[in-house]
Amino acid sequence: MSDAASNLLAPTNEDTCGPYFPIYFADPALEDLTRVDPGLVGQAAGTPIILRGRVLDRHGELANGAILEFWQANAKGLYRTPETEGHPDIDPWFHGYGRLRSASGAYEFKTILPGATDGRAPHITITIFSDGISRIVTQMFFSDHAGNDADPVLQSVGDDAPKLIARHDGRTASGAEVYVFDIIMAGAGETPFFDDLES
Amino acid sequence: MTPQGRILGIGPTDNTSDQRTPRQRLRLIPEQARSSFVPVVPARFITRSHEWDMTRTAPDRPRAAGVPIEVTGTVRTQSGRPLANALLEIWSANHYGRYRHVEDHSGLKLDENHLGLGRVLTDEDGRYKFWAISPGAYLARPDIGRWRPKHIHMSISGGSSRLITQMYFPDEPNNAADPMAILMGGAFERNIGKPRDVAGADVDEAFDFDIVMGGRNATFFE
Ligand SMILES: [Fe+3]
Repeated sequence: MSDAASNLLAPTNEDTCGPYFPIYFADPALEDLTRVDPGLVGQAAGTPIILRGRVLDRHGELANGAILEFWQANAKGLYRTPETEGHPDIDPWFHGYGRLRSASGAYEFKTILPGATDGRAPHITITIFSDGISRIVTQMFFSDHAGNDADPVLQSVGDDAPKLIARHDGRTASGAEVYVFDIIMAGAGETPFFDDLES
Repeated sequence: MTPQGRILGIGPTDNTSDQRTPRQRLRLIPEQARSSFVPVVPARFITRSHEWDMTRTAPDRPRAAGVPIEVTGTVRTQSGRPLANALLEIWSANHYGRYRHVEDHSGLKLDENHLGLGRVLTDEDGRYKFWAISPGAYLARPDIGRWRPKHIHMSISGGSSRLITQMYFPDEPNNAADPMAILMGGAFERNIGKPRDVAGADVDEAFDFDIVMGGRNATFFE
């Protein structure tokens, strides 16, 4: 461990969420970040997008029962954190945290296109939980974005950068831009995952 | 010493772990991108006031079969700061080892008085409490006779903290062969509830399970 210190407390071990993460806990408000609640006036600013794809295991089969959590900046590229409280670019109708459970391993998440900022290309952090693994984390980007070439995360993975870039797949009749991003958990074509404990 | 990302372990005798565990060493996050990897979960939680008592499906319903237990503890960061208003989502099998989940096809007995689902928030001092039925162990690999030991699943979120873990029980015969316990090695004991006196609560057994949020949660508020 890099905690060379330490009077730090030893962390509780992460563990697999197993196959039976309760569907009962699903919250539709966390699966569509374009609006706070369907019955309230109040819409997130920015371009609506649909991010869809599959979570695949090392044999190319769908990883059923996956929990996906999303974390992203608003349309102006600002993350909603304690540090940005009161910032004029905070969108009151956008918090940036989403979660869904996919029974099949295929997923669809509605949100807005995050903005670029601070030398970063637009990106969404995705945390995956499922049976057989503890938390794994990656970050996805959008095809044809001018800032991708200079993004430090894409640069850091070298030749694997294309594995982190979602493909644009047209626009829905209701005007949402569609992006496709598959996550390969293991094996050939494995998605780069990041270590947020050791980094 | 140059830091390196971890290589994740594969739980022995766990097919799903073999299918889903990344084989590559995890990548290090560039410093400029570090904060973008720290989600902040908004305090916008759904809980129902009776969900802390998982020994019944509702306050006016009978107790489920099995041994009612109380689990209490404090949720803290690694530096010891208690986490107030964190959400615990809790799920567990019934006395017979069956989950009330559409994908549990074990055929084990269901209990009409047991949901095995609960949500509670930590208080101002980071403390939580819930009641549950002591869950049954279940046969995870019938072909090789490998059981999953008794365990309660917990997901903790709120602010920049995020953890999914399981509480195990002391002195269970199936603990030693569990793939996740094997991966945890000596650290497995941190995930075992500590028996204590029931102290007058209307339960048969009580456990303390203090939770320490590791890793990235430390970065925002400290
Ligand atoms: Fe389980």
